[in-house]
Amino acid sequence: MVDVPVAAAITDVALMNASQMGMKALGAGMAVGLTGIGAGVAEMAIGSAAVGATAENKDVFGLVLLLTVIPETIVIFGLVVALLLIF
Amino acid sequence: MLTPRQMSRLLIVASKDRMGTVVNELYRRHLFHIEDFVDQASPEYEGFKIGTPLAGATEAATDLVNVRAIENTFSIESEAIVAKTRAAQTDMVGRIEHELPAITKEVEALTGRRARLEAGIKENEQKIAEITPFASIPLDLDLYYGYSRFVVFAGYVARDVSIAVPNEKFYLKGKSQNFIVVVAPLEHRAEVERVLQEASYQAVTIPAESGTPQSRIDFYSGQISAAKKEIEEIQVKIDGIKQKHAEFLVACEEILKCKVEQTEAPLRFATTNETFVAEGWVPTESVAEVTQALEQATGGKIFVKELSVDYEHDSVPVEYDNPSFAKPAQMLMDVYSRPKYTELDPTLMVSIVFPIFFGLILGDVGYGLLLLVMSFGLRKFMTGDEGTMLLKVLRNASISSIFFGLLYSECLGFALPWSPIMFSRHLKIGAHAVGHGPEVPELMILAIWIGLLHITLGRVLGMANHARQDHGAHRTKAILANAGWICVMWGILMVIWSMVPMPYMPNFTTLPKLVLTLNITALIGVVMLVAGVLFIARESALEIVELPTIISHVLSYARIVAVGLSSVAIAMVINFIAIGMLIEPQLKSLTIIGVLFIVMGVVVFLIGHALNLALGILGGGLHSIRLHYVEFFTKFYKGGGKKYSPFGLKRRFTED
Repeated sequence: MVDVPVAAAITDVALMNASQMGMKALGAGMAVGLTGIGAGVAEMAIGSAAVGATAENKDVFGLVLLLTVIPETIVIFGLVVALLLIF
Repeated sequence: MLTPRQMSRLLIVASKDRMGTVVNELYRRHLFHIEDFVDQASPEYEGFKIGTPLAGATEAATDLVNVRAIENTFSIESEAIVAKTRAAQTDMVGRIEHELPAITKEVEALTGRRARLEAGIKENEQKIAEITPFASIPLDLDLYYGYSRFVVFAGYVARDVSIAVPNEKFYLKGKSQNFIVVVAPLEHRAEVERVLQEASYQAVTIPAESGTPQSRIDFYSGQISAAKKEIEEIQVKIDGIKQKHAEFLVACEEILKCKVEQTEAPLRFATTNETFVAEGWVPTESVAEVTQALEQATGGKIFVKELSVDYEHDSVPVEYDNPSFAKPAQMLMDVYSRPKYTELDPTLMVSIVFPIFFGLILGDVGYGLLLLVMSFGLRKFMTGDEGTMLLKVLRNASISSIFFGLLYSECLGFALPWSPIMFSRHLKIGAHAVGHGPEVPELMILAIWIGLLHITLGRVLGMANHARQDHGAHRTKAILANAGWICVMWGILMVIWSMVPMPYMPNFTTLPKLVLTLNITALIGVVMLVAGVLFIARESALEIVELPTIISHVLSYARIVAVGLSSVAIAMVINFIAIGMLIEPQLKSLTIIGVLFIVMGVVVFLIGHALNLALGILGGGLHSIRLHYVEFFTKFYKGGGKKYSPFGLKRRFTED
């Protein structure tokens, strides 16, 4: 008679764990995806301006590359959060 | 090694009649970087004028233009030609005088003929276009003109028309346009014109030809094909000349370029009526060599003096001084910016760290070997200086990839027969995935450690750069500010270590607590942090807003793990789709459709890995170099040095 609730409880725990894993995966996906979109939007304008500036004067390549990749930090943070969530 | 090659400023003065000898000697030595003389630039050069070119400058320039024009006709590119033998300068001078005019004449005759033929083809095509509308009307072309009492209209109309006056009309309905020919007596001209205008008439020229339209079209088509055939023959002849003379032409170009550069050198010197003065830069170890050579060439009738260098105002040209294994990385430096003369040259560090980062990211024996083969195979096609350097960078990077591939135990996404020596990056993809899975936290810590050390190195170099370049109070402040950045970074770390235990990092959490919840290391950390911030603010208070970059720059090194893992994931997914899903199930019971699936699997495998390799080069290369440019260089490196380009030419096709 005791077995049934215990078995049910085990199934419940397993289910809960599984759903927690799912939520974690979802969170990780959102962390990378949304930050990726953010970085993309930010880099869009900088990138086009950078290409224009480089076309006018090649010497600024190093500087504009720096400016272009500044927003990448956002997606790196997202990625770190995602990796910490999953592993 | 860590600094550019040392340069000395030389002043050369001699009488004008020795100018040719001096220029020739300097050109031959290929060491003297000329500082261009600018009129009225400095007070000590008052009364000096820019020199005039030596004799023969105009002729050489004209010849050079001719040679380049011929090379252009033949589409010869000197880059692509590998000289079998080098022609001697003296032979070449004679050959330029005798052979070049003949070749020029021959080429001009051929290209002239070709141009005339092409013009003829255009003209004939125009005539055919004029006749074509009349082709479907059953009239000879000579019936359209030459009347004194009739008028002929020919052209396109929107619709058919009915003309009230006496006339003869041909109407031809077309798809988009309708063609009409009307012959009417001269006195009814106005009436016919009016009717035609109503139908939006567009006149066409009546061709001055005789015979049926078709026969004329055939005649002109015949002429066009004959001309085309002749052009082909001319092309064959031009190709023949190209084969025969390509090497001679590039050698000519080289000789003439030398001559033009030499004869025009006085335009960069300061001159008076009788003397000339040249200023420029020579690597310090070659000063004696250049001085001696000049004295020998002029018989001692020259004044050469080493001037003192004013590092604040002189822009000293920069030549790298690196051991041979680090030379390819100079290309990566030039893409960013050449170091200033007074600055530390980080090429050596880039040449060591870049391949390590690349290997850590790609880390796959299979891809590494493919890249290694590629870097050797492409040598035939990329012969330029930069191309060769790029391939050498690629070679070093691929060797590093193989090394780390062995450590990671990875080959095209499969595991090698041993378990990973370093942290595992094997993901659990596919139905029978076993094992531990990737050790992501450990890899992340590794990346963070790399970042911490790399950034600290950058800051230390920054201190050294400020110590070399700045003076007075600013120097101390700048050095302390850099030390402050290091203090803040390690201070934050000390605080974190005292609060959270982390794998592969010092654990200070067990130390007894002294004040509030802080133990001794945490207190040291806080002191370092505060002191660091003060040092930074002393140099420039605005820098305080940059403090968060300490964290973001260190975390940025996580990309070494992230990009690497994504590359592993793609490789494993390709293997799973190609082998696990397409090939393996079919091998159990082979059918005809099964063979098709297997072929498909092989295709997926090849295309997938080719794509992943391309992504691997991009990801590995770009992210590694970005970590240098953004995270490393911003700590100490400005760049903006002037390239050392000595007067002279590296000859490829000729010799003195």
